[in-house]
Amino acid sequence: MIEILQWSTLTVCGLAAITRVPSALRGKNRTVFYIFALMTLATLLSIRAPYFAIDQALGGVNVANLLLRFVIFAAIFFVGIRVTRGFGADSAYRLLTGRIGMAILGLISLAVLVLFLMMDTAGSSAGLVAMSDRSDRNGLLVEYYGAAGRAYPAYVSLVLLPAMVRACRSNLPALIRVAALLLVLGSVAIGVSLLFPVFPPALGSVEFVINYTAVLCFVIGLALIWVAKLRSGLNAPGKKTSTGK
Amino acid sequence: MPIPAKAFQRWLHGIAPNTSTSDICRVSGIKRTTLAQQLVRGKVAETTVVSISRAYNVNPVSALAAFDAYSQLTDTRPPTRPELVSQISTTDLLRAVLARSVADPGGEPAVAAPAGSSALEPAPHATSVKNWVEAIDDGELRHRVSAATGIAPQNYSAQLTANRLAPELAVATSLAAGVGPASGLVATGLVTEAEAGWPPEARQAALDSLSDGQLTTLAGDRLQTLGRALRRQEHDHEKTEKIWENLG
Repeated sequence: MIEILQWSTLTVCGLAAITRVPSALRGKNRTVFYIFALMTLATLLSIRAPYFAIDQALGGVNVANLLLRFVIFAAIFFVGIRVTRGFGADSAYRLLTGRIGMAILGLISLAVLVLFLMMDTAGSSAGLVAMSDRSDRNGLLVEYYGAAGRAYPAYVSLVLLPAMVRACRSNLPALIRVAALLLVLGSVAIGVSLLFPVFPPALGSVEFVINYTAVLCFVIGLALIWVAKLRSGLNAPGKKTSTGK
Repeated sequence: MPIPAKAFQRWLHGIAPNTSTSDICRVSGIKRTTLAQQLVRGKVAETTVVSISRAYNVNPVSALAAFDAYSQLTDTRPPTRPELVSQISTTDLLRAVLARSVADPGGEPAVAAPAGSSALEPAPHATSVKNWVEAIDDGELRHRVSAATGIAPQNYSAQLTANRLAPELAVATSLAAGVGPASGLVATGLVTEAEAGWPPEARQAALDSLSDGQLTTLAGDRLQTLGRALRRQEHDHEKTEKIWENLG
């Protein structure tokens, strides 16, 4: 079940990235392509088999997991910038790129890095599951490391949330409002992921569902905005001929 | 509420006996699948009754009045002056303002404005539903309609803004305002002025009876509302463009 979710998320992200290649080559909003590409990479690194293969190539000390964290940070950072710019949420944009946003990104990145270095990380293990069983100290470090990794995406989601809710309730075209709703769902899912430490272990599969739901909501939401633009582009010439003078 | 299929079939038998459904559809220009669907669901749309009535030279308002839900339509009260004026398009109002100022360069009271020199556009116009409700609203009308029909006030407002109003709500609004019950159907475009029994030239006469001050104020109000709506549209359009510029 979870495998299906993982691979279908990967497929969706990959397709979105591939379809953005032509416009990226033309230099049109390359960031959107980067977001899709980074999300594809992140999804790939979160699946057991590709994670194992990539981590083995990187030395088998779970550097791939560290890479995954920073790929996620980069993807969510770009999402934050583009979305706040696009939806005209200037204060949210400043919260991400201003001194506060940069300080939060720097501190969390540092925390992730230090916690990773303090851990005993020998032996590839997706999600560092094997690490936490190694000793109590390691288990605690893995827990903190995971929390730090979720903190930055949660910060960005929280910053995005008000603007997205406003967009949902606005008079913008229907597709854009649906896209905003998906971004709201994705943001809420990421926000909920902060609570993972207090989830009972029995809900482990729910955590997976929430994580991939967030990725899917973001990717599909962004893709929908693009679709809305393409559709309006198709409609516009027809409109022009009917009202043209 | 739409018309029950049973009552509809009884009515149909009355005006077109021994006629097949496909003939009725052909004559009245209704898609056969549409009518079939409405009959299967047991609810026939008011527009269906109107189209068929027109095809068989029956007055659509009296046809609707034959159904229980629309029995009030037998009351054929003439429209009030505010109602008539509300069904004149903003363009026509502005044209009238210009025509009067041209016909009256000296500032003397315009008595013989060239009435009927340019015919008014037939109702309904782009904001005719909202203008009609505003013309008959005493300030409490919306509350009374929502109390009588159970529609939520915000849903009612949304319909007015979209220049729509379900036929049963249009009739309920007329009743709540104490005006002729068919006026709302004119404003929503379900029936024509003539079908609702409005005298020909009634709107033109109502327009001519407005004083220069009344006409100018009214046209100004309409223009202001139009300007606000256009500005809102442009604002939304700019926002959309910005989204596409950054994420498209």
